[in-house]
Amino acid sequence: MNDTLFTDTIKATSEVVTKTDAATTNSINYWMWIAILELVIIVLLILSRKKPDSKKELFKREAKQGDIDFGNIINSSFHVKPLYDELKVKCHPDRFPNDIEKNKIALAIFQEISKNKTNYKKLIELKELAKQKLNINF
Amino acid sequence: MLTNIWNNIIEWFKDRSEKAQLIRSFNDSAKNAFITNQAPTLLKAKISKGEKSYRHQFSNWLNTGFRIQAFSGRQLSKEEIKQIGEVILNDNILVRRLIVLGWDTLEIHGDKGNYGLRWQLKDYIALPQ
Repeated sequence: MNDTLFTDTIKATSEVVTKTDAATTNSINYWMWIAILELVIIVLLILSRKKPDSKKELFKREAKQGDIDFGNIINSSFHVKPLYDELKVKCHPDRFPNDIEKNKIALAIFQEISKNKTNYKKLIELKELAKQKLNINF
Repeated sequence: MLTNIWNNIIEWFKDRSEKAQLIRSFNDSAKNAFITNQAPTLLKAKISKGEKSYRHQFSNWLNTGFRIQAFSGRQLSKEEIKQIGEVILNDNILVRRLIVLGWDTLEIHGDKGNYGLRWQLKDYIALPQ
């Protein structure tokens, strides 16, 4: 009696286990295929990134290139005006009326100074250039 | 179409990250300059609401202002504010970068008083049609 009950129980249990196992396997397969499909879509989308074709996109791409010198911007905000005022007076071409060569150099430097009147770093470079080429004492 | 949406999503995240990075770099430089006594005033950049009438083709939907606050402890004169503004606006690389990252307004003001200046960024760079 007990043996029969025991055998039936084992049989019933093994059936349940088999069914559950089959169900789980099917479920795993189903989700696995969804995951693979998603992965394929993501990979395809990443690989098919559009190249810039319109003017707007090209402009954006170009604008993102190049480094911004924030240190120079901060320095320029507070120190550029006195330096520019000094340079525009001392490097003015009219200060070299007799020496044609120096007058030409002064004119070129003066034009650069005017062009870069808010760029502290560039003005410092021009100051050094003026010291060397025009023998100006600052 | 799907690719386009995907590109827009990626661009949006990239732009957000670059905007945050630009503000962080500006603030770090300003802080260093102030600490090392190269700058008499501490500048701080942040994102503001911006001016709707200054919009351009690269403008974001919201928060299109690049605001710089100068912590000077006093009311800044118009010339001082203008000077800071001109330095920024004359830097072509920076203005271009600000525009393509979705900013359209540059605002500068002090920490005291109600006075400040505002510029339209698209006036300083030729934008593609």
